[in-house]
Amino acid sequence: MGLLSILIFAPLLFALMILLLPKKYSQTYKYFTIAVAVIQLVITAYMYCQFQTGAAFTGVNQLDSYQFKEYLPWIRLDIGKFGALQIDYLLGVDGFSIPLLFLSALVMLIGALSSWEIKENHKGYFSLMMLLNTAIMGVFCALDIFLFYVFYELMLLPLYFLIGIWGGVRREYAAIKFFLYTLLGSVFMLLVIAGLYFSVIDPLTGNHTFNIVHMMNPQNYVPDGIFSFLAHQDILGIPARLLGFIIVFIAFAIKVPIVPFHTWLPDAHVEAPTPISIILAGILLKVGGYGIIRIAYSIFPDVALNLSFYIGLLGVISILYGALVALAQTDLKRLIAYSSVSHMGFVLLGLASLTSEGISGAMMQMISHGFLSVMLFFIVGVIYNRVHDRYIYNFRGLATHMPIYTGFVMIAFFASLGLPGFSAFIAEAFSLIGAFNSESVNGLIPRWMAILGSLGILLGAAYLLWTLQRMFFGQLRVKEENWLIKLKDLNVREILTLIPLAFFAILLGVMPSLVFNIINTSVNQFILLFT
Amino acid sequence: MISLQHFLFIAAILFCLGIYAVITRKNAIQVLIGIELMINASILNLVAFARYDVVNNNGQLFALFVIVLAAASVAVGLVIILNFFKRVKTIDPNKANSLRG
Amino acid sequence: MDNIINISNQVVLILAFLLVCAPLLSFFLSLIFKRFASVIAITSISTSFITAIILFIKIWFGKTLHFSIPWIAFNNFDIRLGFLLNNLTVIMLLLITLIALLVHIYSVEYMAKDKLKPRYFAYLSLFCFSMLSLVLADNLFLIYIFWELVGFSSYLLIGFWFTKEKAVLANKKAFIMNRLGDLGFLTGIMIMLSHFHTLDIEALFGSGNLIASSFVTNGMWVSPFNMMPDYWLTIAGICFFAGAVAKSAQFPLHTWLPDAMEGPTAVSSLIHAATMVAAGVFLLVRIAPLFNETVLIVIASIGVFTAFMAATIALTQNDIKRVLAFSTISQLGFMMLAIGVGDEASAIFHLVTHAFFKCLLFLGAGIIIHELHHLKEKHQLQFDEQDMTFMGGLFKSMPITAIVFIIAAMALSGLPFTSGYLSKDAILISVFEWADVKGGIFWIFPIIVSLTSWLTTFYIFRVVFKVFFGDFRLPQLLDVENHQFHIHEANAWLKYPVMVLAVFCVAFVFSYQPFSLEASWLFHQLAPQQHVGGIYHILVPVYINILSLGLLLITYLAYAKNKFSFGLEQTWVYKFSYQQWYFNEIYDAAIVKPILLKAKAYYWFDKNVIDGLVNSSATAIIHISSIANWFDVHIIDGLVNGLASVVERLNIWFRNVQNGKVQHYIIWMLLIMITFFIYLMIF
Repeated sequence: MGLLSILIFAPLLFALMILLLPKKYSQTYKYFTIAVAVIQLVITAYMYCQFQTGAAFTGVNQLDSYQFKEYLPWIRLDIGKFGALQIDYLLGVDGFSIPLLFLSALVMLIGALSSWEIKENHKGYFSLMMLLNTAIMGVFCALDIFLFYVFYELMLLPLYFLIGIWGGVRREYAAIKFFLYTLLGSVFMLLVIAGLYFSVIDPLTGNHTFNIVHMMNPQNYVPDGIFSFLAHQDILGIPARLLGFIIVFIAFAIKVPIVPFHTWLPDAHVEAPTPISIILAGILLKVGGYGIIRIAYSIFPDVALNLSFYIGLLGVISILYGALVALAQTDLKRLIAYSSVSHMGFVLLGLASLTSEGISGAMMQMISHGFLSVMLFFIVGVIYNRVHDRYIYNFRGLATHMPIYTGFVMIAFFASLGLPGFSAFIAEAFSLIGAFNSESVNGLIPRWMAILGSLGILLGAAYLLWTLQRMFFGQLRVKEENWLIKLKDLNVREILTLIPLAFFAILLGVMPSLVFNIINTSVNQFILLFT
Repeated sequence: MISLQHFLFIAAILFCLGIYAVITRKNAIQVLIGIELMINASILNLVAFARYDVVNNNGQLFALFVIVLAAASVAVGLVIILNFFKRVKTIDPNKANSLRG
Repeated sequence: MDNIINISNQVVLILAFLLVCAPLLSFFLSLIFKRFASVIAITSISTSFITAIILFIKIWFGKTLHFSIPWIAFNNFDIRLGFLLNNLTVIMLLLITLIALLVHIYSVEYMAKDKLKPRYFAYLSLFCFSMLSLVLADNLFLIYIFWELVGFSSYLLIGFWFTKEKAVLANKKAFIMNRLGDLGFLTGIMIMLSHFHTLDIEALFGSGNLIASSFVTNGMWVSPFNMMPDYWLTIAGICFFAGAVAKSAQFPLHTWLPDAMEGPTAVSSLIHAATMVAAGVFLLVRIAPLFNETVLIVIASIGVFTAFMAATIALTQNDIKRVLAFSTISQLGFMMLAIGVGDEASAIFHLVTHAFFKCLLFLGAGIIIHELHHLKEKHQLQFDEQDMTFMGGLFKSMPITAIVFIIAAMALSGLPFTSGYLSKDAILISVFEWADVKGGIFWIFPIIVSLTSWLTTFYIFRVVFKVFFGDFRLPQLLDVENHQFHIHEANAWLKYPVMVLAVFCVAFVFSYQPFSLEASWLFHQLAPQQHVGGIYHILVPVYINILSLGLLLITYLAYAKNKFSFGLEQTWVYKFSYQQWYFNEIYDAAIVKPILLKAKAYYWFDKNVIDGLVNSSATAIIHISSIANWFDVHIIDGLVNGLASVVERLNIWFRNVQNGKVQHYIIWMLLIMITFFIYLMIF
């Protein structure tokens, strides 16, 4: 039992305990959730500190250089002429997954801390949340694509119920939409996974394998496999590898989300309860980005290289489109949801550049957006819990009434509009620098994309400052008189929740090398896939 | 000259009469008589065909055997009818439907 | 000079660190120890000031010092944190800390009644930290970081009175317009990084630098690492200039600065007159070797146009701070022009002198506003305390303020014996010489710039005479008895800072010889190789100043004595100027509205087209599934059910066969046997 297994299965164990505890202890469930998140946070922090970098710890396509590796044969089935079915319980982390693991643990903790608003059916809620936790940790650790897919799909189930049961007015619509959108993506992905399975063999055993790392190595493909690098097979007249990449990419692009696959996000965010919005924005979107890096880009590097222009273009479109639509919002939560679309566009742009600074910037953006979107959604949750309203024009001049709250709002807003000193600035700057350098380094995406992408920073400032001006400044005025009593300033629990997020946003803004140093070797190894 | 056909014809008529009696009579005794008629028809056939087996006389032999069996079966049949009558106070076979599946 | 203060480089590093960190520390401490905020802030800025003096003496005649530590490293470049100390740095440090110190002292009284005073001082400290770091930063990335942070602190301070609707609109506008420029700056950084793999100022622009080693050949711009089409060289220059345009409020991104006057006046004087807005000029001087001919002409054109435009607007404004704001824009235009004609030394010289006299003008205006504000509060009156139409004749009640204000006004007009005379005429001379070399159409530059110079005299003395001379118009306009109003001279907190500033408006501070630019120690050190003499050095000051003096007389007669008025109020020229050339309206109609409209349109698109596609595909699937359902119910299920009912019928029938009646059984046996025989007979 390694650290990763503990990380993955501890929540499941606690979920079991919650299910067994009688209902009269329902007030203690949230402490279980917090306890398990704290345990995970400690473990991931320990792993982060112990994480080694350097030539021997590159990860990506070097199976031996993954760290905290765990291996158990899971399913071995002799299926006649197709050889033996080999599915492994294979876990490991490299530079791409370790920061995301830490982020997930932190976000789960914040999610647990913000679950105070949940009033009904604690047992179901908290055990589903634990299940979600297991799935998330599993996704970031799994190195067997089958295992990955199991965890990936396992995430959907609790989320569907969490949105569908504890959500807002249109929760069923949102839940169904979310479920179908993501399922649509992943169902086709399953076909690609099957195709990959029959194309790849484990060099040691000679069996077909689901091992992701083996899939990254062109030598492991059987010569006539459907996804073989050399065979150039066609499916419906489209090159098989191209089709495979597009399907996998869309599956993850839906998660990220990338325009035009994004419309589930505003609905899901708006209808979901605050903790679920937090988890959605903080982790789920990163699963998309992580999947693009780990699966789409790593397994189909040749296709990714050819499609870089279009991927970069999608990134730029996401940045601008998301920001412009955010500008038109009057619901605070929807505004932030669209700002997520815009911010995640930088991930794609940085990634498409395939330069070390671009990819580092993209990773940084995922982590930074993790902290900041969590902070933003928590902030919306604060106001929504008090008066059950999020319409921007119903509030005005809150700065005089809730000064501490406004202080945190300003930190969160300025951090996410990319003020230097906060992590988002570093992330966006290096994504853009990477995108700009790309033309000189590898000629993948043109320079104007970076310049156009930088307009997103401007629009980001526009919608966030406009909101700040409309809701928080000016003379105090709210829709109903009694709101003034309900709108109390932050309590200690809320302040304690926001402080670590603000702390990490500033820490990574001032010392970005904390992340860059960790991911650097993996990023460089990743780039080697494309040469 | 009485040929084989005549014997067979008589036997067939006897058999049909027997069947008719078995099917239509509302009295179990009469049904039993019908059965006897059918058995006798078959005995007549056996005897008629015995002409072609002069060496072993298997026809006569079988006829005798059947007569003995018929007597035994009539005895059994009468006992059944008696028991039946004891139970339901009638010997109408249509009333005896406890064989229904 | 190096031996006056004998300290090692190590100590210089520590001092520079102290200089930057003192305000940062003060930012946090002011927010924690609210009662002592002003003390903490003043102590910290004094520390910085003293350190700046030491650094100045150490560096000014000595050598350039450069320290850095690693920060972020990538494959082909790294970005470091570091200090770059050269002449430009130390003069800016000295200037900023001195003015900041004076403004801090001034603010103690100016903000005394405000209950958010601790926050004010914290923000001010944050600004000082960012501004000093900007000046000290050794690479473009760091400059960018602090460039945005000064913008941020300016945002905080403009919107300091955040319940005022105008203030929060103004700070949003300021931040977003600055962001627009910042995008240019960022793009410039990307170009430099991509082309030279470093952002270090020394490496890029220092002696034996990378810029010099790059060259343009065959339409390609070649550096030791890379080559790209040569238009990127121009774009890089324009991009950096765009950053400076926004920060220094040049056309077309100037409209935020007049609005920024909604902030406290002390802030306007420090940030929006003396230091932050000059950062654009500072940046351009730092990276001057980058600019090619095209960019320089663009800079000069924008500079001269802005100078002229802002001066014409300043002619008609009635809000005293607004006049000064446009005057700032105009003067920054002069500096830009100086950079455009390749005379960075004059630009910096003018930056320094302008900082003093413009800060003084603002602080003087602040004293008047402060006083009128008291009057307004005391008597419960309704009027705009910044409107000059309510002022007049204040010389009698506040003579010291009036005198220092007039000194600053003279400096702004560039009259002899003032610092402005030296620096502004330096720019004018350079422009004339430049035009002389270029010839032809370029003579338009000196013509416009002379015109602007006269306009400057006119508008600033219009303010002087309207405010300090004539009669006090407020009682008449509000129809109140005159003797009720007692306007006092400012108290010590306000008075001494402006008096110190007034000293720095005098030419002797900068040059022992008040008519000789070349004798100025500052100019001499910044541009030691500048040639001396030439016809323009005598001609230009003479002709500019004679006309200026004439204008001065006209304004005196028009505004102080009311001998005549221009009677232009109803003409379109006046309106055009008063409405600030309608820039705000044009931007609102041409940029802001369309973007918001576009945002709405995209949202509509998102909701109805993309989401509509999703939803309609969902509905389509539902329809398809209902057809499938019908098929299922009626055809497939019908088949199954039909079969079942047939079986059921058969079942019932067969059941009836087995009725337990022996005779029926026999009939069946018979029938079946007969059937069997018939079958055998047929087949």
